[in-house]
Amino acid sequence: MVKPFLVLLVFLTAAPSGEQDYSAAVAAVSSGNVDEALNHFEAALKAEPNNLRYGNDYRQAVIKEKAYDRSIAFFEKLVADHPDAANAFLNFGFAYVDKIPDSGSITQVLNANTALGYFTKSIDLEPSWIAYYTRGNSYLFWPKIFNRTQLGIDDLQVALKMQQAGPKLGVYVRTYIALGDGYWKMDEPEQARKFWKQGLEEYPGDEALEKRLAASNDELGSIVSVSYDPNVRVNTDLSDLWKHQ
Amino acid sequence: MKATLFLLFFVGTLQAAGADDPSSQIRFVEIGQQAGVRHQHHTRRFKGPYSDVLGMFTSGGAASAVADYDNDGLEDLFVTDSDQGTTNHLFHNDGNLVFSDRTEKAGVGGGNDPKTIVADALFFDYDNDGWKDLVLARFGTPVLFHNQGDGTFKDVTASCGMNKFANSLSVTTFDYDNDGLLDLIFGNYFPPVNLLDLSTTKVLPRDLDNATNGGGVTLWRNLGGGRFEDATEKAGLANGHGWTLDCGIGDFNNDGLPDIYVASDYGTDRVYFNKGDGTFRDASQTAIGYDTKKGMNAEVADYDNDGFLDVYVTNITDEYMKECNMLWHNNGDETFTDVSRETGTCDTLWGWGAKFGDFDNDGWLDLFAVNGLRSASDDNYIPVLVEMIIRPGVDFSDLSNWPAIKDMSWSGYQKSKLFQNLGKMNIFKEISAQAGVDNDLDGRGVALGDFDNDGLLDIYQTNADQPSLLYHNVSSRPGHWITLQLIGTKSNRDAIGARVTLTAGGARQMREISGGDGYSAQSSYRLHFGIGSAEKIDELRIRWPGGGEETISVPLDRVSYVREGSGVVDVSTIRKP
Repeated sequence: MVKPFLVLLVFLTAAPSGEQDYSAAVAAVSSGNVDEALNHFEAALKAEPNNLRYGNDYRQAVIKEKAYDRSIAFFEKLVADHPDAANAFLNFGFAYVDKIPDSGSITQVLNANTALGYFTKSIDLEPSWIAYYTRGNSYLFWPKIFNRTQLGIDDLQVALKMQQAGPKLGVYVRTYIALGDGYWKMDEPEQARKFWKQGLEEYPGDEALEKRLAASNDELGSIVSVSYDPNVRVNTDLSDLWKHQ
Repeated sequence: MKATLFLLFFVGTLQAAGADDPSSQIRFVEIGQQAGVRHQHHTRRFKGPYSDVLGMFTSGGAASAVADYDNDGLEDLFVTDSDQGTTNHLFHNDGNLVFSDRTEKAGVGGGNDPKTIVADALFFDYDNDGWKDLVLARFGTPVLFHNQGDGTFKDVTASCGMNKFANSLSVTTFDYDNDGLLDLIFGNYFPPVNLLDLSTTKVLPRDLDNATNGGGVTLWRNLGGGRFEDATEKAGLANGHGWTLDCGIGDFNNDGLPDIYVASDYGTDRVYFNKGDGTFRDASQTAIGYDTKKGMNAEVADYDNDGFLDVYVTNITDEYMKECNMLWHNNGDETFTDVSRETGTCDTLWGWGAKFGDFDNDGWLDLFAVNGLRSASDDNYIPVLVEMIIRPGVDFSDLSNWPAIKDMSWSGYQKSKLFQNLGKMNIFKEISAQAGVDNDLDGRGVALGDFDNDGLLDIYQTNADQPSLLYHNVSSRPGHWITLQLIGTKSNRDAIGARVTLTAGGARQMREISGGDGYSAQSSYRLHFGIGSAEKIDELRIRWPGGGEETISVPLDRVSYVREGSGVVDVSTIRKP
């Protein structure tokens, strides 16, 4: 009886944990010491490369400092060291997305395309709702001329199925918004409204859905266009995932 | 009954003032064919394996210049062509909006040789003899023609000293050192390699947002005696290696000295302030910040009548690229703020030349912008191009990596944009269709001039590989106007850089004579002011480039000739300089 307990104790002690560094990072962010925070976030991620939350909060701190190249370099090494960490790849993709609004118009295309590659890698490793939603939504940012909108709709349909199979989360409303937007971009307004309505039935009071359903066709064009403007920062904060559980 | 009468009176009052539809007044009619100035431009056809891509990258060259080259009181036109064996054209204004082609007699058709391409043109009186000479910017060395005063020009290139090879797309004149002699600044696009005799395929921008392997600018200082020297390095302008498409000149900080705005493709524009000692300081970072846009055009004017010169830069805004143009509002402290979104001038699609002009004589500068890269088949080049752009590790500078465009369109069939300045509201309203100027040709340059001296600014639009257009301004109910042709004596003869401030009807306007701002076009050197319903000018002050100031009186609704130090002079005095 003693032996297994000891083994478990040894395992728990030896298991790498970034919790301490993560807490220090959060405290450093609160006190405005972002550079120190970044160091702690990186240490936490090295200990737990697949921790989505650590990576997410790291990126949000990076955005404040506009230290995009730092986070890109960090995640590049992290995924090289941990090629099975699906969430590290997801955050790596987001690190490129975070840089887009501060990039030139052609570099925006390159960053968006690179991000897609890492989102795909994340799906390949672990086909999660967040990975499908993220890649699907990313495709919608590409102008229709590049024929990627349908790919986005396909991913979002997968995400929808996944979310319908499990417990309801507040963040899942995003799939309905994005799916409708995708169909709107594909000139299928009936389908678009269908998903927005479905979403509103499930998530009554959602502002984005209500706005879309109340808008005229002209207004919708503008709403969707503004929502996918590469020059406007996309909210890549994933904290809704754990906030609304 | 009373209420009906009141309503009728109210509606009638609104209509009389044009307040119900302020755009109703500006109208143009295209008369290029009947006027005899419709010119089919030809872009250069390259030979060899990269001909397709090179042709696509050098789709400029459709340019025009406006000036009264024979001093007969009517503005003439010079229009460029770019393919080997084609000729440029000098169109003489015979009056009544009819032009005759005097190219052969004048001897100015040449310049498109097997290894050079004509790209821009500019009239300027480099020797202050009263006759406007002509310079051609080329992919190659410049060409300088001396106006002999008898309707002919003499090619004086060989003796002028401008022998440095560059792939120039623009030429602008100004007297940067205030010595009374007009200097030249060339905007160079590619690095200085001859595209018609390639020694390497790596001639394109290395980076599509921050390229620093372009041609920059070349400053030629006028030494007098028909000689120019390369003053780029000495003047402090050699640090920019952008893919320059245009240079806009103006006294941005009101210190009496001409400053420079350089618009560049694939990377940042630059602002240089004139230090007054023959050199410039690069103030790009503090004045405008660094940008990654595709600057095509730099047009300088005081659009909001606040006494400071602003700059309008066109970029690329399309389905696949959302750069937005820049209307740099001059803050008066050597900094500028982009107000293109706020003013409604952000989106002119794939922008090229743009010019400010008061088309309805209401005292506020309107804006005409042309656009569109390549109108061909229904197939779109963009998806093909993006596949190359996203290829990992691709070298953009290498011609061999770029897919052929063949018969595909690229931002084609875009409609030109005319924005009416709504005055004190500080916004512009797009009125292209109502005004009759919403053509969908592949526009490049916009030159303004009043070709029939009726007090309304006309527009000459050049188009790449397509025919040019002459828009005759037939606006109804325009305001009063004056047009000034300034003649420098101590200052350069063309009075380039002279600043005129006019006060009328309680409003003040300021203009400077521009030496060819705006992509691929040089507008008339005459200064045109609309003053709306004001019946008199309260004050008209001239600040000459040489520094002298004078206040003059001129009659309304006429072209007046003003000689430095002598005030208004008879038109006959310019005919015999």
